[in-house]
Amino acid sequence: MARWGMVIDLRRCVGCQTCTVACKLEHNLPPQTFWRYVIDAELGAYPEVERRFLPMQCMHCGEPPCVPVCPTGASQKRPDGIVWVDDTVCVGCGYCVVACPYRARHLVLEERWYFGQPTPPEQARRQPARLGVCTKCTFCMQRLDAAPPGAVPGRDPAATPVCATSCIANAIHFGDLDDPQSSVSQLLRTHKTVRLLEALGTDPAVYYIVG
Amino acid sequence: MGVQKVPVYCYQCVAGPDLLNVVVEDGVATTVEPNFAFAAEHPAGGRICVKAYGLVQKLYNPHRLTTPMRRTNPKKGKDEDPGWVPISWDEALDMLAAKLNAIRAAGLLDEHGYPRLAVTFGSAGIPVAYMGTLPAFLAAWGPVDQDIGSGQGVKCYHSEHLYGEYWHRAFTVAPDTPRCRLVISFGHNGDASGGVAGVWRHAEARARGLRWVQVEPHQSVTAATASEWVPIRPKTDAAVLFAMLHVVLHELPWQEVCDVPFLRHFTNAPYLVGPHGYYLRHGSSRRPLVWDPRQGQAVPFDTPGIEPALEGEFRVRGVEEGPDGHCWAHHAARCRPALALLREHVRDYTPEWAAEIADVPAATIRRLATEYVETAAVGETIDIEGTRLPYRPVAILLGKTVCNGWGGYECCWARTVLAALVGALEVPGSILGTTVRLNRPAVNRLESVRPGSDGFMAQPLNPTDRERWQARPRSRNAYQTLVPLVANSPWSPALGPAHLPWLFLEEPPEAWPPPTLPEVWIIYRTNPVISNWESDRLLRQLPRFPFIAAFAYTVDETNWFADLLLPESTDLESLQLYRIGGTKYIEQYWRYTGFALRQPVVPPRGDTRDLTDIATELAVRTGLLAAYNAAINRGAPLGVPLQSPLYDLRLDLERPYRAEEIWDRICRAATLSLTQGREEKDLAWFKAHGAFLVPFPERQWYLHPVMAASGLRYELPYQERLRRVGKELRARLHERGIRWWDAQLAEYQALPHWKDFPDLWAQVARRYGKDPNDYPLWLLTSRSMQYAWGSNVSLPLMAEVARHVQGHFGVMLHPQTAAAAGIREGDEVVLEAPHGAQARGKALLRQGVRPDVVVVLQQFGHWATPFAKELDMPTLNQLAIMDLTLTDATGSSADLVRVRVRRA
Ligand code: SF4
Ligand code: SF4
Ligand code: SF4
Repeated sequence: MARWGMVIDLRRCVGCQTCTVACKLEHNLPPQTFWRYVIDAELGAYPEVERRFLPMQCMHCGEPPCVPVCPTGASQKRPDGIVWVDDTVCVGCGYCVVACPYRARHLVLEERWYFGQPTPPEQARRQPARLGVCTKCTFCMQRLDAAPPGAVPGRDPAATPVCATSCIANAIHFGDLDDPQSSVSQLLRTHKTVRLLEALGTDPAVYYIVG
Repeated sequence: MGVQKVPVYCYQCVAGPDLLNVVVEDGVATTVEPNFAFAAEHPAGGRICVKAYGLVQKLYNPHRLTTPMRRTNPKKGKDEDPGWVPISWDEALDMLAAKLNAIRAAGLLDEHGYPRLAVTFGSAGIPVAYMGTLPAFLAAWGPVDQDIGSGQGVKCYHSEHLYGEYWHRAFTVAPDTPRCRLVISFGHNGDASGGVAGVWRHAEARARGLRWVQVEPHQSVTAATASEWVPIRPKTDAAVLFAMLHVVLHELPWQEVCDVPFLRHFTNAPYLVGPHGYYLRHGSSRRPLVWDPRQGQAVPFDTPGIEPALEGEFRVRGVEEGPDGHCWAHHAARCRPALALLREHVRDYTPEWAAEIADVPAATIRRLATEYVETAAVGETIDIEGTRLPYRPVAILLGKTVCNGWGGYECCWARTVLAALVGALEVPGSILGTTVRLNRPAVNRLESVRPGSDGFMAQPLNPTDRERWQARPRSRNAYQTLVPLVANSPWSPALGPAHLPWLFLEEPPEAWPPPTLPEVWIIYRTNPVISNWESDRLLRQLPRFPFIAAFAYTVDETNWFADLLLPESTDLESLQLYRIGGTKYIEQYWRYTGFALRQPVVPPRGDTRDLTDIATELAVRTGLLAAYNAAINRGAPLGVPLQSPLYDLRLDLERPYRAEEIWDRICRAATLSLTQGREEKDLAWFKAHGAFLVPFPERQWYLHPVMAASGLRYELPYQERLRRVGKELRARLHERGIRWWDAQLAEYQALPHWKDFPDLWAQVARRYGKDPNDYPLWLLTSRSMQYAWGSNVSLPLMAEVARHVQGHFGVMLHPQTAAAAGIREGDEVVLEAPHGAQARGKALLRQGVRPDVVVVLQQFGHWATPFAKELDMPTLNQLAIMDLTLTDATGSSADLVRVRVRRA
């Protein structure tokens, strides 16, 4: 069984938000909801100041604090490491939203449209089941699960999360952390990486290359 | 119906086109994705940028105009509701055709010789990728004024366009990123505006260790990814570049660090310059002379086997050729090689001198200059497709505001001379030109290289001699009269001093034909009220235009003044074939070249129409069908004729064709001509596959092999020809009593001097009766990837993702500056320029902004465009002062202005 993970190269990211918008379109997310986005931050003081970009999303934690707090069992971790929410079970209590230290969970209570009224694509892809339940980055598991035979996640676009396939700086790499031959494992071996808030013991599956 | 993926191209920015698939589910476009079928051929793995993801919302925007509209309120003004009423296409086209036919009846030129029909397109050539066969209609029409500006010059890389193309066929300059090791970028914001090809290549290069130094007043996206940020005072870049020349030529052993063979044989560095500042020439052949130390005498530059002197002073017999055929014959003139003059010229431009001006430490300037020559790898070579070429992995880039307006010439010159000194010009690793717009053929800059005089490339300068100079302007910005460098290609009108028509309408100049308005003004994909500088002037003039027809996506600030709105089918609804690959703008240099299709992914919304069909209808209604079809046959829309020895796909001149049929023929002609008749792909094939590509040799990225093969030199560092041209232009203008262009004439210097460029903006403040010290801050702007060139301000999706980028949507200023004015993060602030114009926005406090600088992104300030008018975003364009004194010799200015800031 694979353990899906991501390696994001911070030396490459230009904060362009192409991944942000590609995710929004892929998942038909309503206005103001971002399953992923990229922080644009400053460190230091003039003139010794640095501007840094940091892509943020669900870390698909090995020890996800969002799962045990879920009273209904809707919040789950799959054997391949993907943390997801079964929206037929979720009651929208919001415990997980509070429990996630990465702010990666989103609760949308009412339908929202970009222009007040739904446009044809918004209408065609209306998803009432997503209202009042927790939603989040799924590592595009619908793509992984429907991968054509022989397609390798992380290599073949049809079987890879859209943020990774859309990134215009080739900064986002996806694959099986348990497979030493995968591109992500190779990158981890050859580069200095960090994970966010590791001290919390969440064991994130998203790594950041810093050198 | 299920899910379909429809291939199209995106050319929303000049750094394209790029290829994508639109996902259509049960007849509704839902999302887009890169066209991975071209991942191997495309320089960025087939990817598309954030803007392309806005196309679906652009298509379904409910604020779109979907039927033609006619104005009912005859009064025009910002506060006058135009009173739009919908009309049919028949009515709309009849109305426009009636105006056009009236022009044809009255004569195409008005009483002052200006075309009665004017057209303005925006966004740096992007409209051509969307306007179908409209160029064929304009070709059929006859003289059309394309001179009325929408912000070009002040919003582009203007000096680089003109001088870059002059020196090395580089309308746009890019680093050979895949091979470069050091980039020193003066404000070039390529990670926001360089397209996916630029971003991808920069990222690859960073990962392998490219060093990128970003010199600019605020920390842009590109500074964020750079190895080092060097803050600099606005408009002082030339001082730092001059000081770098000083370091190389005076502090370092220049004979060791420079590429001396390159200087001797590929530049005019050895040309002897006489006492009047012109080349000393051979008496009879008039070839420039160089000093041959072995023979101890001066010989023509092209004497075989010589190693001409780069230093020294010699007494030589020869002739100098000045302006207007004036000659000086010398028996023993004191003369020196151009390089010796260059060394003398930069002697006083020390790093300490520049540090005072630019607020960049002298040690930093020394370090950068030293690093530059050390990384240049002078002497090294590399194999490209079996050809040995010099390898010089260093590049200096210039950004907007640096390479336009005053100081633009000085920056472009110093940068290109620094390149020439180490031979890092048009060779692997160095700076490259990627496209030509003033020379022909536009599709291959290498083929535009032809031998001219004195060992240099032929240059298509507008003539300045008495016989051929265009004394009476034939169009409203007078580019042929005033700007020799801008040449006379189809692109030249837009690159002329395109703000002059606006300026002259209010302040007619002396000894000049009275500025008249065009009887019909057609605008497309442009919104000058927003994108021009000092937009208020436009608001005063637009109500006077007799008839404005606007191809329109939504209501906007310029078409608010129109008489007729024509809603065209937009990006994902219309049909067009376009060139892709080869070498194009910015970093679009590919290993492939060919053609890509844009096609309707769904039926057009409402009653919108494909521009090709609109153009055909107009041709019919103005009696120009035969000429229009003939223009298509000649290749007006794409540059591919419909007839060649290999094929004959010509349209019958007498009958109108539908868009599908026209583009089918163009598809077939394009592929046949690209493959020398081997392959023919029709429209149906393109609809299924999206693009047709053939290999493009990498060798053709570089000009050097062509220059070497034709024995030509770069006209650097000494600008003898421009000096002469400047003197002639001065004489011509003065002969007609024109003195208002004198300041511009001062730019024509063989070796440019530093001038106090920032002070020009202080002087403007004084002219408005203000103390410049009361306006202590520089307001600057910067591009963002979300919006650059995109015509997408009305999309909420774009605003929503843009909010994650620093600077959208507010006024960036340093905390110290803010504190001094009692401003806190999030406060509403007012920016005010010396002429009184104001703009408001929310304060965003940032450390990455010099304390004497305020930055707002892109161009906003909308009050009519749906959604955009709710963004409450300030814009530089309302505050930038449009002024003749801020106009340089190439006809551009820079987009900055002195302001003061206070809490609202
Ligand atoms: S990042 Fe948050 S939502 Fe994702 S697995 Fe970890 S705790 Fe759960
Ligand atoms: S698409 Fe890539 S470069 Fe752009 S913000 Fe996302 S991770 Fe960064
Ligand atoms: S870089 Fe320009 S052409 Fe390419 S996808 Fe983005 S907007 Fe379109």
